[in-house]
Amino acid sequence: MSPHAGIELQGVSKSYGARAALQPLDLRVAPGEVVALVGPNGAGKSTTLRILAGAIHATAGSAWVAGHDVALEPLTARRQLGYLPQKLGVPLPTVVRDLAALVASARGLSAPAAVSALVTAGLGDRLDATLGEMSGGQRQRVMLALATLGAAGALLLDEPSISLDTEGAEEVREAIRAARRAGAAVLFASHHLSDVARLADRIAVMVEGRIVACGSVEELARVAGVAWDRRSPEAPIERIYRILVQGRPELHRVTA
Amino acid sequence: MTRGAMVRFEWAAARRGRVVPFFAAGFALASVGVALAGLSAGGIIAVQGFARTSVSLLQLVLWTVPLLALLLGAAQGAECYELEFLAALPAPRGRVVFGRWAAWTLALAAALVAGFGAAAVVIAIFAGAADVLQYLALIGVAVLLLSAGLSVGLWMGVAARTRTRAIGVAVAVWFVFAIGADLVAIALLAVLPPGGATWNLATLLLVNPVDSARALGLGVFSADVLAGPTGAALRHLLGGWGAILLILSLGGWTIIPLRLAGRRLESVDL
Repeated sequence: MSPHAGIELQGVSKSYGARAALQPLDLRVAPGEVVALVGPNGAGKSTTLRILAGAIHATAGSAWVAGHDVALEPLTARRQLGYLPQKLGVPLPTVVRDLAALVASARGLSAPAAVSALVTAGLGDRLDATLGEMSGGQRQRVMLALATLGAAGALLLDEPSISLDTEGAEEVREAIRAARRAGAAVLFASHHLSDVARLADRIAVMVEGRIVACGSVEELARVAGVAWDRRSPEAPIERIYRILVQGRPELHRVTA
Repeated sequence: MTRGAMVRFEWAAARRGRVVPFFAAGFALASVGVALAGLSAGGIIAVQGFARTSVSLLQLVLWTVPLLALLLGAAQGAECYELEFLAALPAPRGRVVFGRWAAWTLALAAALVAGFGAAAVVIAIFAGAADVLQYLALIGVAVLLLSAGLSVGLWMGVAARTRTRAIGVAVAVWFVFAIGADLVAIALLAVLPPGGATWNLATLLLVNPVDSARALGLGVFSADVLAGPTGAALRHLLGGWGAILLILSLGGWTIIPLRLAGRRLESVDL
């Protein structure tokens, strides 16, 4: 495996004046691995993803996507990266077909390839609608389909299941599984703990800008002192989360 | 992502908005109104020709086009901070700024051409087609000013970050361009000895896009004939190369702020 393959953060921090939004943070997501970021609002999940996507600059440390430093080789890194931000990130009057053509051009694909991805996602009848004319769920599905288009190295998703119905949430899960199968490193932030337990190979629990624990559900259960049953692996996730987020000093030594 | 793809994307958004038809209608009404009003003081209801209409419209263009372009550019520039999805695509962020500038310059230039063009038909029918080239030159000057105003507005929007602040700054800058610079010129004329103000005034003309457009317009309308001593003084001041200098000035007011906006957007957090 090449150095810094997948997604890697080394000592990455972010401060706004005197306020530290992200403490020096280390995290690695291998190609073909899915890691979930969980934690309360303001824990630093979106900040972490936004640094990797190049939307904001780290105050210190280095971040890599598919072997490329996001600060030093931003365009090369972004070529390998699919990113679904928490907010829409596109003007509401944008027509879906126009956005698809732009994303296709950015990814070196043909416009029909992008349209085809939207048709596959069941959005064929919404191609000429503006994002403003669509429901929140439809909008999220469009953005997910376009975010995953042609991004082979890494996928960053910030609250991908937000405002989605059951069917839409399953599409998100399938997109994550497909990216994993294709060998992409997937890092996503979510408050849906059942999704997290079902999809993620590892879970990074963030509190106040730092990772307080990181591991599989089984490992986190052990750290939290919660009984874990292999036959129903999702069952104790809420309890594990509460214990880890409420904080125990020794957890702060856990590395990611 | 090519510049062309970004321009096509922004152009699609710009042409769907209500701004373009609204301003096309506004420019058409203003042009016909000016053409009719020019001779009304003499008690005549008639349409004046292209030459006189062009000179009358120039003042309207100098006030409305920069205001419109600065406000629109400022709003578009501030909105760049909301485009996180686009910013994560593999293209320099400056390309988003360029795309917005190019698309809105094209869209508003189309509105200008449609509006003034509609009025041109009325003028041609009732007053004849003489001096139509002057009218076309007026549209050219308006498009150059529009392009510079949008570029400055985008820069201010990107620098200000929020739409409210950006629009406030845009209004202040418009006041400086449209009125403040003239007040400075008047003050210079009052303070400096006769003849000493020449180069200062020439510099003021070149560093203010509205004055550059005004001088360019008066120049192409043979202002020494139509605008009397003011026009003659301008021609004397700028000499044979004046028009080129003024066009270069407006070009500079387009290219430099656009580059500054792109660099600024690249270096800051969204």
